[in-house]
Amino acid sequence: MVQRAIGHDADAFGKLYDMHVDRVYRHIYYRVGSEADAEDLTQQVFLKAWQAIGRYKRAASPFVAWLMTISHNLVVDFYRTSKERAYLEAEVLADDGASNPEKAAEASLDQQRLRRDILQLRGDEQQVVMLRFVEGLEFAEIASLLKKKEGNVRVILHRALVKLRKIVEKDVDKR
Amino acid sequence: MKRFEDILAQCIDDVKAGRASIEDCLERHPSVRERLEPLLRLALEIRRAPDVKPSPGFKVRARVRLMEQIHDRGAVTRWPWLRYHKQRQLSPQRRFSMVHIIVAIALALSALAGGTAYVAQASLPGDALYSVKLGTEQAGMMLLGDDFARAERALDLAQRRIREMTALAERARSQDLGLAVEKYEYALEMALARIEAAGDAAAAAGNVTELVAEATAWHLSVLDRVYDMVPAEAKEVIAHARNVSATGHFRALEALARVKPVGAMGINTAAAKGRLTRAGEMAARGDVDELENALQQFEAMAAFGEEICRIAQQAGRDITRVEELVAEGTFIHLQELVDVWERAPGQAQAAIRTRVANAMARHERAVQALEQRGAGLPASEATPERIREQERIRERVEQILDDSVPPALNLPGGVPAGRSCCGCGR
Repeated sequence: MVQRAIGHDADAFGKLYDMHVDRVYRHIYYRVGSEADAEDLTQQVFLKAWQAIGRYKRAASPFVAWLMTISHNLVVDFYRTSKERAYLEAEVLADDGASNPEKAAEASLDQQRLRRDILQLRGDEQQVVMLRFVEGLEFAEIASLLKKKEGNVRVILHRALVKLRKIVEKDVDKR
Repeated sequence: MKRFEDILAQCIDDVKAGRASIEDCLERHPSVRERLEPLLRLALEIRRAPDVKPSPGFKVRARVRLMEQIHDRGAVTRWPWLRYHKQRQLSPQRRFSMVHIIVAIALALSALAGGTAYVAQASLPGDALYSVKLGTEQAGMMLLGDDFARAERALDLAQRRIREMTALAERARSQDLGLAVEKYEYALEMALARIEAAGDAAAAAGNVTELVAEATAWHLSVLDRVYDMVPAEAKEVIAHARNVSATGHFRALEALARVKPVGAMGINTAAAKGRLTRAGEMAARGDVDELENALQQFEAMAAFGEEICRIAQQAGRDITRVEELVAEGTFIHLQELVDVWERAPGQAQAAIRTRVANAMARHERAVQALEQRGAGLPASEATPERIREQERIRERVEQILDDSVPPALNLPGGVPAGRSCCGCGR
């Protein structure tokens, strides 16, 4: 299917859209927190992917991982071009673990804050944290996706967590 | 000694996989415990994204829009010279001209008015908006829930592809026929797959299957006209489309024979007669190759009549009426074959003679089967006019066959007691 899409077969690309649209949407939604923005960006991801499909190299990373990279770049652009945009306007993070509504609300709020803090990380740091913890990719997969050595990905993750800790602490102090 | 980054990554992996607890990790690395603990706890606090899904409505709308935009922009190649090369390869009909620019502006204006999808409905393979048309069709298909509704819709799409082939042939755009044939094959396969998956379970299966069987017979006759219109280099692709139609026709009849054998037999007899009409036209034109092709298709369909009878019998259906139809149908085929023989050029008559002999054999088997069953001939076979016509045809058949019957011919040897036409000839 991917091979056919690389050969500019629109039908094959349509099938790839069917297969991956949910995951791309979820990934973007987590980062922009708005249904309308997530829909808009999801459409852009697939259009960009079609435009650049000739550059996709199957051996380098799975197709879905490649879509995640495009998603990341578009989300970065999204925030860069609209700095005044408020994060997390339409928060819907679910807490599936807590049975107590108060605890659930509290846990959900913590996750919202943490997500907002993650979004303050620099590009590659934010991407590694997202791919490892939010998307659940392995270090090896992240390395092939970002075209970096696995060791470098670990270094970036360490740096990201150190920065994230400082951001979280500042956030707590403000409250 | 391990780097701190590696220890952190390992601990995250182990805790996430349930191979260790945070405490286990910290005990394993006491020298870095203070640095490790806060980062590890923070990392494990970050949860996976909740399972948010886009709405089905958005998915369909976005897909249609994506297909529109794909068409408008095309894929961007990395190397500009490659794009240039691709443009150079375009056929003369597709190169830029003032007409194309005017058409593009008209389309853009229509798109601005929100009518791209509507305008695309009139597009043909190779046209700018054709991918929009296909995208809209596919999106429409996704909205149908029922298998039979989808089969009917897929058949409707196959019919559209046939009309597109005709339009392309009329516009001398044979270079775009390949795409139409490919999409036709896909749509027909989709219709047949839905029907076959349903088996004999639903009564609706019979109605949809009947439609497919009738439609594919009609496709064959339309494709004959397309075949005649297109230049030599495009004939192969249309010949392939005809094979697809014929195969689809047999598959639909096979499914129909289990639930509606009488209907299946009627459709098959008419389709076989259609092949003989084509053979007659080719005989008059002196096109021996196409005449032979039509005769081969006829032979396959005529033989399938007995197959329908057998399938129906296996499915436990009453086959009396089916056998009557075999008798009637084979007689109609004999009449047509005699007519074709009389119009055919000398070099084609040997091939027709073989088919006449086979048709005669099938007819006699069917009549004998009915007699053995005690059913007698259908009333329509016993009128004075029909008896006179039978005599005339019989005489003509004897003249045609003369004494030069091909050795491979399987002439009727009588029907074994207790066996119907379905069991004969096997």
